Amino acid sequence: MLPVRRLLAQPRFPSFSLARSSSNSSHKRYDVIVVGGGHAGTEAAAAATRIGAETLLITQKIQTIGALSCNPSMGGIGKGHLVKEVDALDGLMGRAGDYAGVHFSILNRRKGPAVWGPRAQLDRSRYKEFIQSELLNMPRLTVIEGSVEGLLVSAADPEQPGKHRVTGVRMADGGDKILCSSVVLTTGTFLSGSLFMGRTTSPGGRMGEAPSCAGLSHSLKEVLGLKLGRLKTGTPPRIIRETVNFSLTQLQLPDPQPTPFSFINTHTHCKPEEQIPCHLTVTTPGVDRVVRESLPVNSHVQQDTKGPRYCPSIESRVLRFPGRQHQVWLEPEGLNSDLIYPQGLSMTMPPEMQLRLIQEIPALSQAEIHTPGYGVQYDFVCPTQLFPWLQLKSVQGLFLAGQINGTTGYEEAAAQGLWAGVNAGRTALSLPPLSLSRTESYIGVLIDDLVVHGVTEPYRMFTSRAEFRTSLRPDNADLRLTPKGREEIGCVSQHRYQEAVRVQQGLTEALSTLNSISLSPPCWREKLSDVGISENKSTLISGEEMLLYTDVSFSILASTFPDLLSPYLEFAERIKIEAVYRPHCEKQQREMERMREEESLSLPPDFDYFSQQVSLSNEVREILDRARPSTLGAAMRLKGVTPAATVHLLNYVTKTDRKTRGK
Amino acid sequence: MSLSRCWRRALRMTAVRLRVRVRCDSSVSSAAGPVDTIYALSSGQGRCGVAVVRVSGPAAGGALRSVAGLSRALPAPRTALLRSILNPQTNEVLDRGLVLWFPGPHSFTGEDIAEFHIHGGPAVINGVLQALGSLPGLRPAEAGEFTQRAFHAGKLDLTEVEGLGDLIHAETEAQRRQALRQMAGDLGQLYNDWSQRLKRCLAHVEAFIDFSEGDLIEDGVLNQVDLDVPQLQMEIENHLCDERRGERLRSGVQVVIAGSTNVGKSSLFNILCQRPAAIVSPIAGTTRDIVETSLDIGGFPVLLSDTAGLRDTGDCVEKEGVRRARHMVELADVTLVLVDSTQLPQEPPMVSGFLREYLMNVLPSGNNYKQQRLLILNKIDLLPKEHISAIQNVLTQTSDLAPVCILSCHSREGLERFLTLLQDRLKTLCGDPLAGSPSLTQTRHRAHLQNCVEALNQYYQYRNVDLALAAEGLRLGLSSLGRITGKVGAEEILDVIFRDFCIGK
Repeated sequence: MLPVRRLLAQPRFPSFSLARSSSNSSHKRYDVIVVGGGHAGTEAAAAATRIGAETLLITQKIQTIGALSCNPSMGGIGKGHLVKEVDALDGLMGRAGDYAGVHFSILNRRKGPAVWGPRAQLDRSRYKEFIQSELLNMPRLTVIEGSVEGLLVSAADPEQPGKHRVTGVRMADGGDKILCSSVVLTTGTFLSGSLFMGRTTSPGGRMGEAPSCAGLSHSLKEVLGLKLGRLKTGTPPRIIRETVNFSLTQLQLPDPQPTPFSFINTHTHCKPEEQIPCHLTVTTPGVDRVVRESLPVNSHVQQDTKGPRYCPSIESRVLRFPGRQHQVWLEPEGLNSDLIYPQGLSMTMPPEMQLRLIQEIPALSQAEIHTPGYGVQYDFVCPTQLFPWLQLKSVQGLFLAGQINGTTGYEEAAAQGLWAGVNAGRTALSLPPLSLSRTESYIGVLIDDLVVHGVTEPYRMFTSRAEFRTSLRPDNADLRLTPKGREEIGCVSQHRYQEAVRVQQGLTEALSTLNSISLSPPCWREKLSDVGISENKSTLISGEEMLLYTDVSFSILASTFPDLLSPYLEFAERIKIEAVYRPHCEKQQREMERMREEESLSLPPDFDYFSQQVSLSNEVREILDRARPSTLGAAMRLKGVTPAATVHLLNYVTKTDRKTRGK
Repeated sequence: MSLSRCWRRALRMTAVRLRVRVRCDSSVSSAAGPVDTIYALSSGQGRCGVAVVRVSGPAAGGALRSVAGLSRALPAPRTALLRSILNPQTNEVLDRGLVLWFPGPHSFTGEDIAEFHIHGGPAVINGVLQALGSLPGLRPAEAGEFTQRAFHAGKLDLTEVEGLGDLIHAETEAQRRQALRQMAGDLGQLYNDWSQRLKRCLAHVEAFIDFSEGDLIEDGVLNQVDLDVPQLQMEIENHLCDERRGERLRSGVQVVIAGSTNVGKSSLFNILCQRPAAIVSPIAGTTRDIVETSLDIGGFPVLLSDTAGLRDTGDCVEKEGVRRARHMVELADVTLVLVDSTQLPQEPPMVSGFLREYLMNVLPSGNNYKQQRLLILNKIDLLPKEHISAIQNVLTQTSDLAPVCILSCHSREGLERFLTLLQDRLKTLCGDPLAGSPSLTQTRHRAHLQNCVEALNQYYQYRNVDLALAAEGLRLGLSSLGRITGKVGAEEILDVIFRDFCIGK
């Protein structure tokens, strides 16, 4: 195996103090301990802290906190929605992206605001810098370096569902025990992880870092008896920038005016003119040939661990769709980095063949590899064992987030991390746990899919997974989540809350002002001569209805009625989107309400589905017993649960409710 | 068939009753729309002089006015009024009958209810159902929906509710079989084909939305969808306009005779027909295809089928016959499982085990629904009297099998008792108004198809402006079709995407 060099030549240490003194951390009792400093772990620690919990973040190396271990980018279609929602709940990711982004674009610009995908190329070191500076300066949060070897577990609280209760963690190398109320595990690919390159296999979760979590795997599997599965993923080789012939590629420019991810940022750290481009190239038949030659010496591809239906590696792309040109994006790793990340060339063949493969691509014919690509196989905990608040059903106080739940991607990890952190914090502070609905957020869709259906391949967000896509748009994530985040969840700062309320008031006022403008078609034609209002139209048309015409923007209306509308010009784009989508969202309202009500009818987690109290067929009993849905809504989404079974369950819930009210 | 709509609404009402706090969306949107109005034939389908059609919901009053030709006031509550029943679209007089008006909350469901007591002929009933279906805001009721509304309005007490789940189960199953019968033919193929094609269209649009930037999905993908959607829409529209509607509706309770070869199935069939409709011979495997006839048993419409004897065979014609027989049993409302009693084990204690295995072989496996079935031990004229009573003794001690009749098609012994038992079954089945009504199933299908066609319009409206809203149109259309052919979930759409396109990370 080639000696593996660091991805970043010199990790840049932030100028502020690295960690608070960790010497007395072991004597203190924490509300929440978060294990792991990736995207899930950092959001979890920050969210628990925002809730008000005394929190400890344990990571192997403080300098890798906030590391982008794979692609130097974030957001995109579906994933961008998650970033906006994490931001709306006051998470770190959106603001970190605005600070570290060096190339901003909104994907799907021509396809409708519901599916716009805000995306950015990131500077790796800036991203880490931002996350570390946030975490290391956060009140109530302590960060220490170390490896967790096992969980401290005691008998369950009989008042609550579950077989065990977590009481803390045990550090490795004969380290101390640290006590706490809740633990959030975000160990990524480190749970029994093995790395693959060619025929070589070595234990580990990320190249260049020590394997860990053997003790944790044991705790989860043997002590807690959890069901684990195995998944695989991979990363491409990094290429030395100056060896690439960019003249043979297609230039991909960023948006001229970068749009920030965060609702509280008006501009990005990177100035528009400082943004750097990406480049696009394609594979050749030579690439296919090398892939086929590499098969006998490529154990990652041969092994039958569940990979996704989509094609994460160049090997699987070529094997599934031979004889095609596959796209390869050459992405910068940062403003000052001399490396290129070839998106689309994730591979696990031996390093010398990796070099042959990339050199089959004309633009890369002279390219040199800095770090070869490799594959990772790792354990995940089957997420059907979780409540929608990401706590394990069988272990009180133990929360899981990120790849450990079978997902892939920074944004998916961050979203779960935030939600697990919120609930770990709430549980520690004796507040009831909360779940997010599919009807209000992509985070809700993500978690519901995980806990109801489980995973068979690394789970990744797509907009097609959201049945209420029309309502769950990136533009309105703040309206959907920020007020709730402050009023009900408690994870949003006053400053952000006030901003969201201001925006909401502005939008509401603007729309009602638009509706107060009502003119006959001839009047509108006179004012806006270019708009093709149908000759047959005879009823009055409101300003909001005028926005339904494609070529009528809010700015046009504002210039026609400056006194009334110009105060709202800062919301121009959002008002247009609201007006166009409102009729469609209203159509979905009933369906959404129905789903919310089903989800508000909870089923007891320890319910004995085999008891004779409820009449159900044996088949349905088994399905329900296996899945243990938390709500009637979740039960109904299970395959094989019949309408009749639901009526019986409803009947049961109704009766129990009456009894408890009678008490 | 998806029944989700009705009981989901019911759930909503309970939630309200339970004062479950429902959080309102903070986005700038208004409240939900009103409750649907439902209609259905509420009387049984046997031979009857009067049929009752019931309409429940906010639009019931309007429906009553337009169908009964009442221009102004509604009739006095709970008072019968003799009116001509009209088709409001054509003003054609369908029947003369009694109309009644039960304003909510003093009605069975707690909602406004209109009732039409009309003549019991299928043409009249279908005419009135179609007339109601043509009114805005009305849709055919799903199984058990009236009862459920009554439950949620607090009109049933909890002991009555205990039976509700079972009732819905039975009705769901009956409807499922009814739908299957229609779906088994060309019509089913047609619907499934539409559903498949629409699924593909949607998957390709979704692929274009989720993956076109960063993966190689060209605009050409949408060109094909642009051709397919109008084609599909046109086909569904033509189908809806086609008055013949492809298939004859076969009304009646489906009774199927099944069993091993040479047990006397065709003999029983001929006895019930009272004519030698099927060929009877001592040669095993005489009946190879389904022999079918419409009958009237004790005043109830019955579709009786004789099937090929079930056995493993190398003969390819007979093999097909066996396949059809098994399929027929799956669709049956009542299965008459015939056994040759001379083949029973000699030792009486072994009999029940033998019969249990026999039933398992004949009836569809994995069907947890207790299908209506009668076990018939034929040819008892060939057994000694004492052996028969020994068998009878054993059977009275085993209750989990199925109701058993012992008879001889040859000597006609035991036939009377069998006919009484069969009539009881028919009575139960026919007393259930929703169960076997093909026209109602069809009305429901038409309503879903109509919704699908309308939803597809949204695709064109937004195709060039907002692809997310265009895709929403396809989603709505597919969900309407899905109410006939089965729901298509997000995972299935993703399956098509990943099969048809190379999607990277």
